Amino acid sequence: MAQSLIDRIRNSSLKNKIFFSVTAVILLISVLIALFTRWILISTLTSELKQRGLGIAYSIAESCRGFLLTNDVNQLTSLIFDARLGARRELVGYVFILDKQGQILAHTFTRDFPQQIALANRIAPDKDHRIQLMNAGREAIYDVAVAVNEGIYRIGSVHVGLYKKHIDQLINKLRTTFLGFVSVVILLFFIISHHLSKTITHPITRLTMVSDEISRGIFDVQLDMEKGLQHGGVKDEVRQLSRSFINMTNRIKESQAKLKESDNKYRSLFASGPNPIFVLDRKTLKILSANPSAEETYGYTKEELVGRPFTDLGPFELDENQWTEFNAQHAGNVTTISSKVQYFKKGYQAFYVNVHASPAFYEDKNALIVATTDISEMVEKDSQLIQASKMTTLGEMSAGIAHELNQPLNAIKMGSEFLEMMIEKEERIPEHELYQIVREVSSQVDRAEGIIRRLRDFGRKTDFTKEKILINDPVNTVLEIIGRQLRLQNIDVQLQLTANLPPILAHHNRIEQVIFNLLTNARDAINLKEESGMGNHPRNIIIRSYAEDGQVAVAVSDTGIGIDPAVKAQIFEAFFTTKKMGEGMGLGLSITSGIVEDYGGKIHIHSEEGQGTTFNLSFPAVQQTPPGG
Amino acid sequence: MKNCIIWMLALMALGCGNTHENQTSTTQSLGISDNEILVGSSLALGGHAGYLGTQTLHGAMAYIRHVNQRGGIYGRRIKVITYDDGYDPPRCVTNTQKLIVQDKVFSLFCYVGTPTTVKILPLVEEARIPVVGMFTGANALREPLNRYLINVRASYYQETGAAVTHLVEAIKLKKIAVFYQYDAYGFDGLKGTEIALRPYGLVPVATGTYIRGTLDVEEGLRKIMAAQAEAVVMIGTYEPCAKFIRLARERHFSPVFYNVSFVGADELARLLGRIDENIIVTQVVPPPEVSGSNKELWGAREYVALLKQYYPSDRPNFVSLEGYINAKVLVEGLERAGRELNREKFISAIESIQKLDLGIANLLSFSPRDHQGLERVYFTHLQDGKFVWRNH
Repeated sequence: MAQSLIDRIRNSSLKNKIFFSVTAVILLISVLIALFTRWILISTLTSELKQRGLGIAYSIAESCRGFLLTNDVNQLTSLIFDARLGARRELVGYVFILDKQGQILAHTFTRDFPQQIALANRIAPDKDHRIQLMNAGREAIYDVAVAVNEGIYRIGSVHVGLYKKHIDQLINKLRTTFLGFVSVVILLFFIISHHLSKTITHPITRLTMVSDEISRGIFDVQLDMEKGLQHGGVKDEVRQLSRSFINMTNRIKESQAKLKESDNKYRSLFASGPNPIFVLDRKTLKILSANPSAEETYGYTKEELVGRPFTDLGPFELDENQWTEFNAQHAGNVTTISSKVQYFKKGYQAFYVNVHASPAFYEDKNALIVATTDISEMVEKDSQLIQASKMTTLGEMSAGIAHELNQPLNAIKMGSEFLEMMIEKEERIPEHELYQIVREVSSQVDRAEGIIRRLRDFGRKTDFTKEKILINDPVNTVLEIIGRQLRLQNIDVQLQLTANLPPILAHHNRIEQVIFNLLTNARDAINLKEESGMGNHPRNIIIRSYAEDGQVAVAVSDTGIGIDPAVKAQIFEAFFTTKKMGEGMGLGLSITSGIVEDYGGKIHIHSEEGQGTTFNLSFPAVQQTPPGG
Repeated sequence: MKNCIIWMLALMALGCGNTHENQTSTTQSLGISDNEILVGSSLALGGHAGYLGTQTLHGAMAYIRHVNQRGGIYGRRIKVITYDDGYDPPRCVTNTQKLIVQDKVFSLFCYVGTPTTVKILPLVEEARIPVVGMFTGANALREPLNRYLINVRASYYQETGAAVTHLVEAIKLKKIAVFYQYDAYGFDGLKGTEIALRPYGLVPVATGTYIRGTLDVEEGLRKIMAAQAEAVVMIGTYEPCAKFIRLARERHFSPVFYNVSFVGADELARLLGRIDENIIVTQVVPPPEVSGSNKELWGAREYVALLKQYYPSDRPNFVSLEGYINAKVLVEGLERAGRELNREKFISAIESIQKLDLGIANLLSFSPRDHQGLERVYFTHLQDGKFVWRNH
């Protein structure tokens, strides 16, 4: 029961707590005071009563001595009745006088004298009084006995009966008064504590109300509140609380405004941004919202877009790492999902985009903000540039190619001249010789044709669909075209190709172009070293291919002049060249780098000035589906 | 909260003990048996006030014996137990205690004298026993009202009041002295006189006293003579008062002497003999011996007849007539209380008496707020050795 009471108090409002504690304290104090007062009262009053009784008894004893000696019962009776006159009747229950034999001489009873009290309180011979509590009938009475002496001998005794209830009545009266007083005090404190708790809790209740309103988004309450809090002093805690509350509200209001501003800013960015932006559900990848640019770009209306799986528009693939990274955060960094991927407008019209995504929180859902940047034009320009660069390369290759073509042509010429001469001589050509010549001509034509086909392949503009290629193939093709040329320039090309490398996703002729660029740069670097007159030195180019950590790499090393560390950082910039004017456009390494990056590859350069340079290209290997998996 | 309230109530309940013990019903009907009603009286049957007691008792007994002879009240005869107290208050107290405790009387009856009767008030209150007909006009028996005290006669205040009015207005006297018995009786008369004088802007010019039971009146007389009083209000018994008048007469001091009824007018007259001093006594009963033509006073004649029957040697007198009237009130009350008698019923029965004609030209009325039956004061003056009604 006590526990439940404590719980009830604990769960009650602050107002009631204050009220209950004040009342409890008052009650406790009252009870303590009451008990204390009662204790004091009873002891004092009892002793006071006995003193009064003794006083009365002694005065009667003094007065009655003469009458006792003369045995004047009438006077004794009259005397003791007088002793009970007036207010004493409330106090003195009875008086009686005994002679020395203990016989009743006079008493104040108006009924038969209760004999049992006559001898109940005997005074010891050496004492002159005795007080004893006894029961006369129903009442508790203090019997005060006082001896009456003549000289040193006792001639009788006076007994005065004092009502104990006299004290009780007094105590009761005091108790009633005290109870009344306590009741009034409690009532007073009831009112005071009620008022007090109201004074304290009223502003708090208001604060609660106001914060409720604020949490509903209503901020126009504080003026009213400030007005309501003028009562308390500056040091009033509640007022201080209200102050800080108002400050807090102001701060919230400010940040709310800022938030709104930024929200508006971002909304307008979203709405007027040039790039299509989509909001996707992070789980289902369905479109939740899209900006006008998205509508324009993709040719769908917003209604058509919303609810449509984003994958309808194009591939959206994330590996596991990216997913966990996204799901770990509500909003965060922008990640490039894929670049130069093909997306489709309404009507299955393809175009190229870069896709960026960032996790966000949209309408209480985990979402993804996805931006697709239309890069079709750039891709077009890129391919034109690559084409142009190829043509340049072709131009550079033309001497070597011409020489290459010249050989079969010379052989054919030689064959055909021999035949002509034989026909003019009208000599008969032995059958096996003729056959040999014709076969030789045919094989030389084949050879020329192969050269031309390769050139044509190289020069052909490629589309963007990647294919699985083996890195060794383009290396071999390029060497077929310019290998002889390099040998003619006295450069020793060493091939250290690893067989059975995993394929990579790329374009064959672009990789050819990359290899070509690297070989011509190596050749140039070797020649440049010779020109700078560094004496005898090896003229070597080493081409290696190998697999390493899921990557397939090809490295082209030369023993050329090396790269000046000062320009190392710039060599991939477009139009940067170390060559003489008119010898190169400065696009070679820039394009190389662009191509490698398109395939997710990396270029690593190791170069020592005067010693040579190694270009190390690595590409992610295509995961082979394990057989039977 | 609920607990607090219970706690408080508990304390409150403890606070209210029963302060009044209930009168047990056994004491209510003490002194009543099937054929007897015991009443008790302590009065002066001898000594210096013996005349008053004896005559009161004879007057009362004349009627009670008459009633008993008639068959009593509801078959119960009234038995009166009397003890002599000799006008001594202590003896009166002992007697009364004896009557209550030993004799267990139903009611006290016919007490005589102020100091004696005043003394028994504590016993009366404690025992809750009725007292009917007290031969005293003391104010202490009238105020505050005590349920158990049934006064019949007019008070000393009324007597002295009427006398002072008479002295000041009719005889045009201003110098009024007071001679009184130095006890509760005398003080009461003195107070009554002073109260009556005050409206006239007067105070007693002198006061003289004597001690009850003595005849030491000389000092008082000297003081009153020195003040040259024109009238002396005397609150005493017949012997000292007679001596006072005789001494004054010897010293040729002859103011108007006025006595209250308690003096015992007939005895005073007898002691003084035939003198021509101007002596007035106020009475609370009419003179017993009146002309037969006065129809109003049939009660007085009835008294004379009964007294002659039961106490042939007694002469009718004021004191014994008062006792006789007291007995009539007692009997009237007992009759009205009915067969199932007890003390409370008896008191209520007395209180129900309204305007009862007792044949004394003075109607008897009680009520719960008025425990004095008669109001009238009769003026008598000494004429030819006898106090006669001065019917003015």
